[in-house]
Amino acid sequence: MTELQAERTPETLSAPRIETRSFRSRYLDVLIALVAFAVLAALPLFFGSKALLDFVIRCSAFGLFATSLNLLVGYTGMISFGHGMFFGLGAYGFGLLMQRTGVPIPVAFVATLLITAVVAAIIGAICVRLKEIYFAFVTLAFQMLIHSTILTWTSLTGGDQGLRGGIPRPAFLGIDLANHVHLYITSCALLVLGLLLMRQIAQSPFGYTLRMIRDNARRASFIGIDVWRAKLTVFVLAALFASTGGMVMAMFVSGAYPEFAYWTISGEGIFINMLGGVTTFLGPMVGTVLLLNLNDTVTRFTEYHGIVLGVVILFFAIGLRKGLMDYVLEWYTQRRDGSGERG
Amino acid sequence: MDIDALAGCLASPACLVTQTTSGLIIGMLLFLVAVGLTLIFGVLKVVNFSHGAFYMFGAYFAMTAYQFSDSFALAMLCGAAGTAILGLIFERVFMSRVYGADVLMQLLVCYAFVLIFDDVVRMIWGPEFKSMGMPSAFQVPPLFIAGGVVPPYYLLLIGVALVAAMVLGLGLARTRIGKVIRAAAHNPGMVSALGINTGLIYGGVFALGGMLAGLAGALAAPVRSLTPGMGFSVLIESFIVTVIGGMGSILGALVGALLIGLIRSFGSLGFPLFTEGLMYLFMVIVLVSRPSGLFGKEVA
Amino acid sequence: MLDIRGLSKSFGGVKATDNVSLDFADGSLTAVIGPNGAGKSTFFNLITGALRPDSGEVLLDGIDLAGKSPPEIVRHGIGRAFQVASIFPSLTVQETMLAAVCADQRRSTVLHRRFPLAETRDRAEHAMELLGLANKRHRTAATLSHGDQKLLDIALALVLDPKVLLLDEPTAGMGTEERWRMIDKVRELWETQKITVVFIEHDMDIVFKIAPRIVVLCYGRILATGTPDAIRRDEAVIDAYLGTEEHAEAVT
Repeated sequence: MTELQAERTPETLSAPRIETRSFRSRYLDVLIALVAFAVLAALPLFFGSKALLDFVIRCSAFGLFATSLNLLVGYTGMISFGHGMFFGLGAYGFGLLMQRTGVPIPVAFVATLLITAVVAAIIGAICVRLKEIYFAFVTLAFQMLIHSTILTWTSLTGGDQGLRGGIPRPAFLGIDLANHVHLYITSCALLVLGLLLMRQIAQSPFGYTLRMIRDNARRASFIGIDVWRAKLTVFVLAALFASTGGMVMAMFVSGAYPEFAYWTISGEGIFINMLGGVTTFLGPMVGTVLLLNLNDTVTRFTEYHGIVLGVVILFFAIGLRKGLMDYVLEWYTQRRDGSGERG
Repeated sequence: MDIDALAGCLASPACLVTQTTSGLIIGMLLFLVAVGLTLIFGVLKVVNFSHGAFYMFGAYFAMTAYQFSDSFALAMLCGAAGTAILGLIFERVFMSRVYGADVLMQLLVCYAFVLIFDDVVRMIWGPEFKSMGMPSAFQVPPLFIAGGVVPPYYLLLIGVALVAAMVLGLGLARTRIGKVIRAAAHNPGMVSALGINTGLIYGGVFALGGMLAGLAGALAAPVRSLTPGMGFSVLIESFIVTVIGGMGSILGALVGALLIGLIRSFGSLGFPLFTEGLMYLFMVIVLVSRPSGLFGKEVA
Repeated sequence: MLDIRGLSKSFGGVKATDNVSLDFADGSLTAVIGPNGAGKSTFFNLITGALRPDSGEVLLDGIDLAGKSPPEIVRHGIGRAFQVASIFPSLTVQETMLAAVCADQRRSTVLHRRFPLAETRDRAEHAMELLGLANKRHRTAATLSHGDQKLLDIALALVLDPKVLLLDEPTAGMGTEERWRMIDKVRELWETQKITVVFIEHDMDIVFKIAPRIVVLCYGRILATGTPDAIRRDEAVIDAYLGTEEHAEAVT
């Protein structure tokens, strides 16, 4: 919308417009989500390839994780280098509950989320007050603490061997996660639902509070926003979705390994965000698909995939200085008006 | 938990000496790494996430130099000088490009180099554990102090690290270049206003930091096993040290490193499964009570 | 009524604000002047909670706000704008206003609805009209001119319906003509909104012309308070601050 048009729009007309637009955008999101889910769910009917379905399941796990990290990095400006701990926590929490208690899967799912929320609230309460670089490293330190706890508490976690012997997956509500297609559909459903919920968070009044904190936390506090509480809230919310990603991963590999809680998961999450771009909601999802593809390709050709990955990161960080979707968005807005306006 | 073992040790002079020396060597090694981290942060406001790699390279350089020359002194020199050059190149070619950029970019560039450096080491020296072995000069019977066993090499290690700390402290306090570095840490704009080449200072600080970390790696090589990725846990611990001591404070790094060293060595007796946990717990206590660290000025 | 009693703050032995007592009647317009380093901004920071006073009271309608956090103080009705426009660079003007009203209505943590909320619209609209930003509603704040950013900063304070509005140098960094436009705007807002306005200003022409009451701060203390005429004649002010005619010139 240009300035001239805005001037012509009578004040009385813009009132309902604001509300209808926000109503409409929500229904549009739900519609897109339903279509995306339908397409994903129909995939096994047309492609019999197990590898493709496996790839989508992994994308679900990492996509949930990376998008939740973007709630912190992109929307709130909190660079967490320890977000992977909640991915690991989800995988281990879910795996252990299933192995040790034998509760139904939905119960274990909810219980794991509750545990994650409590742990995230405690760690967040300590971390969110800290300035950006301190925040990044203290979250990283907590990640290392959880990782080393997993390694040393062998009687519970199996130490460096991980949770072995498989995670029991009893059928519930007619869903049998031991069945590959069922597992696939469930992962897709969790992904789509998770993305939809995170989209809602991003577009809610709270989402705009987060943007204000990212832009200018001091000013936000001077219009009456409790910055600490808002940051803690989003820290816990993001942890819940990361934990869900970890649970998808645990269901997929039927186990949990210390690598799920290692700092490199967080590093990859940050890189995925960078790769896809932090200015669009789906950027991290694009980044996930790119990185997993890149990883799979590179590991096929060389055992030194750290070098290749490192060079790619350098290309993006020093060369482009922004992510792929950031580029697309910039190109799109420039084509549309070029004046720096936003819709 | 094994409180009895801890109490028993605290009551016995022999055990006390042994644990304190081992705490001191952990602490001094950590100090050498952490002081570089804190200097680089102080002057450049960059947290060198790849700092652990310099420690790793120092150890590998020293091992290779020792294998070729059989000279311990040369090994130390190679470890320190090699990483100094590496630090200079790293700063001039890569880090200098992201000073203006946000923290995310700086972290990513460092992250890329953690991955690259680990793989480079894997390529050159192989993925398996390596050991430099105790230099022949130090293969002598251990000393007994108050009944506690102290290998002579430990004393050398502590001594070298202490000398390095003192030279650094005096150098920063007394020499012209030291004063410029401290001025740069205080106010980066001022140094360029004085007509001093900031690029040179920045590169120099990175080289100095790299050299100290490399020296730590070289000193550690005879008593630790070498493996790609060995730098990362050291990095995390040094970061904890700088957080406890206060980012940018050299005295803080020394005190923090010694505290962490002692916590590790005595903690391993009392809480064998929770030694690392103790360290994090201590950091959290410090952070909650003093967010800017024990010797930090700026409020975090 | 905003009533300041015995407000003090020192930094490492230097008294930035030294036992300041002042009252601002409801609907008054007051200018705070003083040489650089007189403690004007510190004074504002103490009132708004950016700094914690060492001692003293900040009473707004009888409630002591001293030592409370900025969000709490804002909620009690003291809004502020900053010397350097403090805005949200990536939000549009309209989004900024809508989000601010959201915060004021304690809806900033609402998760289940979409932004913007219909009930925030009228106030946001009103504030944009008031500051003349309505035709720039879709511009991102970062792309606004310097003057418009200052207006947006003031709008951010005003949209919260404060009882007291503190403006830290509303004309900072502006050319002469723009300064007068800005100060006319401030005066207009004060007249139409019937709120208490306190502003810091360096330009003596502006201060003496606009403000019915002037407070002079020097080294953290109140040097004088009174009408422009009284201040002009005040011996202490002339000695310490205005000095000779040339001096007054230099200060502006």
